[in-house]
Amino acid sequence: MATRETIDARGAYCPGPLMELIAKLKLVQIGDEIEVLSSDKGSANDIPEWVKKVHHEMVGVTPQDGYWSIVVRKAK
Amino acid sequence: MASNTLYILLCSGEHEKVQMAAMMASVAAVSERPVEVFVSMNAILAFEKNTPADKRYYGAAFSKLLKEKKAPDPLTLFRQGRELGDLKLWACSMALDVKGWELNKLEDGLFDDALGLTKFLSDAESGQFVTL
Repeated sequence: MATRETIDARGAYCPGPLMELIAKLKLVQIGDEIEVLSSDKGSANDIPEWVKKVHHEMVGVTPQDGYWSIVVRKAK
Repeated sequence: MASNTLYILLCSGEHEKVQMAAMMASVAAVSERPVEVFVSMNAILAFEKNTPADKRYYGAAFSKLLKEKKAPDPLTLFRQGRELGDLKLWACSMALDVKGWELNKLEDGLFDDALGLTKFLSDAESGQFVTL
């Protein structure tokens, strides 16, 4: 059964949130979702770009109060 | 489509340039692009083993900001790039000779080996070359 884990990367600067996401993706199963909380605006754009390039799946990017919730599904 | 290799010649020891090299290398490596970094001149000094973090990097206004804001440490980024992607670091054999250093003077787990510039340049003919 697919799970969702959250990484709180608020306060980390580029490319910290992306690196944390990738490290976590290595540990979860295909179909699982990772939510990254990031206060770095660049990461809100860069993480979807990385997901597209390496062929995972974007679930969504949602602005919150002073940060973004970026949800990625492991596809391979 | 396979990406062509990114070759980075890092010779500045300025914090801002070491930071940029580490960011480029790690992000490219985790984006399924092979990366090779050749470290020479003042840059090699930033990789000396057991150097305290506050002594490792020198720079100007942006260096101060990077430290204040606790931006990711360049050595940590290089390590992450190696763990999560195809990233190789080479220590310039000439720079080691001039310093009288062996590879073991440099931080553990970062460098693949010492390498000559001729070999690096030859390999880099097939990829994209960036100098910092």
